[in-house]
Amino acid sequence: MNKKQNGWKRILAIRGMGQVITVGIGLVVMCIVFGIINPTFFSSKNVANLLRQIAPILLIGIGQSYVLITGNIDLSIGSVVGMSCMISATLMTKGMNPWVAVVITLICCLIVGVVNGGLVAKCKLPPFIATLGTMTIARGIAQIVNNNYNTDAIGDKAKVFRDFFYYGKVAGIYNTVLIAMVLWLVFNFLLSKTRTGRHIYAIGSNIEASKLSGVNIILTTTKAYLVSAFCACVVGLVICATSGMGTMDAGNSYEMYAVAASVIGGVSTLGGQGILIGTVIGASIWGVLQNGLQFAGAPVAIRNIVIGVIVVVSVLIDVIVRSGRFSKKSH
Amino acid sequence: MRRKLMTAVLSLGVIASMCAGCSSSAPKEAATTAATTAPAAETTAAPAAETTAAAAGETYKVYLITMDQMDQHWVTVDSGAQKAVKELGNVDYKWLAPDVKDDAKQIECINNAIAGGAQAILLAANGPDAVTESLKEAVAAGVKIVYVDSAASYPAIQTLATDNKAAGKTAGEEMITALKAAGIEEGKIGIVNVNAATASTVAREEGFRSAFEGTGFTLLETQYGEGDAAKSKDIAANYITQGVVGIFGANEGSTVGAGNAIQEAGETVIGVGFDKSDMIMQLINDGYLLATMAQNPDVMGYEGMKTAVNALSGQDTGAENVDTGVSVISKQ
Amino acid sequence: MDSQNIVEIEHMMKSFPGVKALDDVSFSLRAGEVMALLGENGAGKSTLMKILSGVYQKDEGIIRVFDQEIREMTTQKATELGIAIIHQELNMCQHLSVAENIFLGKEKVKNLMLSQKEMNQEAAAILGRLNIDLDPATIVGSLAVSKQQMVEIAKALSVNAKILIMDEPTSALTSKEINDLFTIIRKLKSEGCGIVYISHRLEELKHIVDRVTIMRDGRYITAIDFDQNRMDEIISHMVGREIKEKFPRVTCRKGKKILEVKNLNAGRLVRDINLELYEGEIVGIAGLMGAGRTETTRAIFGVDEKQSGQIFLDGREIRIHNATDAIEAGIVLAPEDRKKDGLCTKLSIRDNIALPNLDILCSRLGVVNRKKEQEMTRKAVESLRIKLASPDADAGSLSGGNQQKVVVGKWLARDSRVVIFDEPTRGIDVAAKVEIYHLMNELKKQGIGVLFVSSEMPEIMGISDRILVMCDGRITGEMEAAGATQDKILKYATQFESKIS
Repeated sequence: MNKKQNGWKRILAIRGMGQVITVGIGLVVMCIVFGIINPTFFSSKNVANLLRQIAPILLIGIGQSYVLITGNIDLSIGSVVGMSCMISATLMTKGMNPWVAVVITLICCLIVGVVNGGLVAKCKLPPFIATLGTMTIARGIAQIVNNNYNTDAIGDKAKVFRDFFYYGKVAGIYNTVLIAMVLWLVFNFLLSKTRTGRHIYAIGSNIEASKLSGVNIILTTTKAYLVSAFCACVVGLVICATSGMGTMDAGNSYEMYAVAASVIGGVSTLGGQGILIGTVIGASIWGVLQNGLQFAGAPVAIRNIVIGVIVVVSVLIDVIVRSGRFSKKSH
Repeated sequence: MRRKLMTAVLSLGVIASMCAGCSSSAPKEAATTAATTAPAAETTAAPAAETTAAAAGETYKVYLITMDQMDQHWVTVDSGAQKAVKELGNVDYKWLAPDVKDDAKQIECINNAIAGGAQAILLAANGPDAVTESLKEAVAAGVKIVYVDSAASYPAIQTLATDNKAAGKTAGEEMITALKAAGIEEGKIGIVNVNAATASTVAREEGFRSAFEGTGFTLLETQYGEGDAAKSKDIAANYITQGVVGIFGANEGSTVGAGNAIQEAGETVIGVGFDKSDMIMQLINDGYLLATMAQNPDVMGYEGMKTAVNALSGQDTGAENVDTGVSVISKQ
Repeated sequence: MDSQNIVEIEHMMKSFPGVKALDDVSFSLRAGEVMALLGENGAGKSTLMKILSGVYQKDEGIIRVFDQEIREMTTQKATELGIAIIHQELNMCQHLSVAENIFLGKEKVKNLMLSQKEMNQEAAAILGRLNIDLDPATIVGSLAVSKQQMVEIAKALSVNAKILIMDEPTSALTSKEINDLFTIIRKLKSEGCGIVYISHRLEELKHIVDRVTIMRDGRYITAIDFDQNRMDEIISHMVGREIKEKFPRVTCRKGKKILEVKNLNAGRLVRDINLELYEGEIVGIAGLMGAGRTETTRAIFGVDEKQSGQIFLDGREIRIHNATDAIEAGIVLAPEDRKKDGLCTKLSIRDNIALPNLDILCSRLGVVNRKKEQEMTRKAVESLRIKLASPDADAGSLSGGNQQKVVVGKWLARDSRVVIFDEPTRGIDVAAKVEIYHLMNELKKQGIGVLFVSSEMPEIMGISDRILVMCDGRITGEMEAAGATQDKILKYATQFESKIS
């Protein structure tokens, strides 16, 4: 058997790759179609913009994927984005050093992560309800932080901050994209190569078995929620840098985009399954749709339908393929 | 069992907070006023400031119901209303709004206001038709209706609003003037709007488009950014990639986004927007936005409150439609 | 403390709300012995072992392990002491590989990274020592239940246990795997490991067991040396009374043909199946794991798609495309995995009994007639003697035997013609087994066709009137129960087609 065949087989053997490759092909097809409709889609300027538009979706997708793999869900992730945007902007408009503001914002967001983990794993609340609660609380905090106003412009002192998170480039690639790539590498490593990652898959697959094997359920669940809070924080900072101000409705509905990106990429809402490379594809499909439909001049009604159909189809494909896999055992 | 109990309690709490998704906020002090007699939401008006028109001991219960509580615009309407309340001294004032723009939630707010004993309602209707049934009930119960910013298709005492269509047209005309001055007679124009349902922003776009009739410019398919500054920025950036010569933002968030995109692209795209905020002023002064149509939401609130009190005390309320107008704000 | 004992438990008490699970129980285990822990369902065996392995906390009592008194036993402490437990239900993470499951909770890590290769190699070694032929990278979810159970065993053994507790380890294994398991057990014995063996399969005990501890109703009855010839005595200790007949057989006159299956083909494991079922007889289907017996029952019941085949009920052909067709025609199935496929464990007993009978219980508008429902439940509970606290209790709270009765009860409420049982007494204790046999006999007497699949040969030979043997998807043999022997059945069960002509 020649080496190339071997390589392909090994890639396909990775769990979850099947779905990823399927949607990956879908992504390529989509790009080609959009490019044909409007060749400007392929211009270097748009590609750079497109990657930067995908980056925040990828980040919240990573956060949500972590939580979905543990068999839970994080509905608060969108509101934490808003909270992060408002807290950092408010602090900066009051004259605080941007980096100090970033640290404080991060701490606040991580607290939400700990609360989520505690509610779900220790108090054993259904994750849907628990994170629905933290969602409303976080959004409320986003509103209170600046007295129910959007903030003023964060000012010239924050230029470094804005460049770092959004406007700057390194070697022609936007910082946001680099940040997303680095964080993806870190979180992918954590998920696939460390004990924590293994435990995350385990409790999503069979929480009883994990408990009996000595896996710390509360700690592992909280770690997943901390990852999603961290990702939400970064996205909030990116949005603050983008707009140059804090907006109270930042991150609205992002939790749903995050679920869509994860599910398209093969993460199962039942837990135990999915790989982060899939989330990259899922987020990319999302970003390409938003971007490409604009270039194609599609009216908004069509856009919503197209997006909905794609999400449903990708989940359908996953279900069909999966029902063949854990098939009946023989007796 | 305990777990089920906790779940039930938390669910109820969440549901309650979502129903109070039609929530009232203690009227906020405007950032600059020194006067601190703004009453807490429940107390009846204590005439701390000098009053001019306190009728013999009568306090009127007036509610303000807007589309949501987060948009800067509504916060300003509220502060205008509060200013009038302070001057009049005989108003028990409450501000209600859903947490997100939603017809059903706004109807809830109206019903809550009626149940709370409102004598007059200042309403910024989400959409023209959804609330008409509730308004019918309100009027039947003797409540006076005054529209601020967006009217519904049900008769009321007065509508104080920006003539959005006219304002949009003005914005368009400003853009065309600037383009012609730069020697540009044709090209693509991009529109960043909020959504297809909000009447005010839809009217602005209509007005804007009308200004371009007969010109050599092509208006691209409108994109919707939900008023989110970041999404709007992405949309505007995509327009710039497509080579537009002008971008229109139909509300504050859309305008901020457009301005940021123009700043980043560093190209000479003419940007015109709506609403006023610190960020928008900065973008205008730095030259990235040409101008913005600043509405006068505080006037809506102020005059609207005065109209409501006049109606309740049997005085003349003036014209049925008051155009609170826009000022074209450009580089100072 | 008796110097030979590695485990001593004295005066153990444990209560759950409303139930006294353990009442002054004693237990001891020596190094290098296999101690069988016997008792009916609900006797307290699992509870006792869960306390020993740290899953539950005792209320009162003394635990001594290796001469050391343990005041608070946790799962971690138990692992440190060398106590490993193989639970009755499979506790496998279906999405993870064999190696990952074996090392779950004790992953090997180097510099923050998992040493995946090393763990795979070690897992392969562990599997090899146990004679299990599996690639450690296989995803557990794709394995047959018997293989999963072997992985469960491998996992427990990977920690160099000195005290091994096995709760129903053989319930899903093939006979080859059972033999392999017993070889392992003997080896562990010789290495000084103490093994607690809980099982309802009393016939297996003679191969490996040294002593027997018997519990009943949460109390300790006695501990004696195992002697095959004293089985009746052992059983009567377990049950508190004598069981006259382990396999009560009734003879009925064979009546007319109820069911005929012709040329049934449903995939590789159901090939050209032809069988007949008459009134007044019980037909047992024997065979090894993988023979296709469950698949055949599912094909007849309409759950699995069939490629061809005709089914005749009382002489008339019926078209069965799905379970609803089968149920309406009067053919019903009590599936192999009670908890997963037979019951809605989170619903009440009443709901379960009503579920397939809603067409009878509902008015035309679809409203359930509560009185009829209660009557149906009462009849089922009475006639099957189901022991329950209340018909509103969760079905999952019942003991295995009573659960099985609910599964059957829901079918009996609707005048079925043929009842198919798949492993009807798996995981059920001796006394409850007899009740199930009585139930099957009742059906036989009423002229209802009874077809059952079982892996326990004594059961097949004891209850059936006629025995069919399957191998690799085909029926390879048929015989009257009178002349059946284990060897004959085994011969047919291993009659694979020769691939070389």
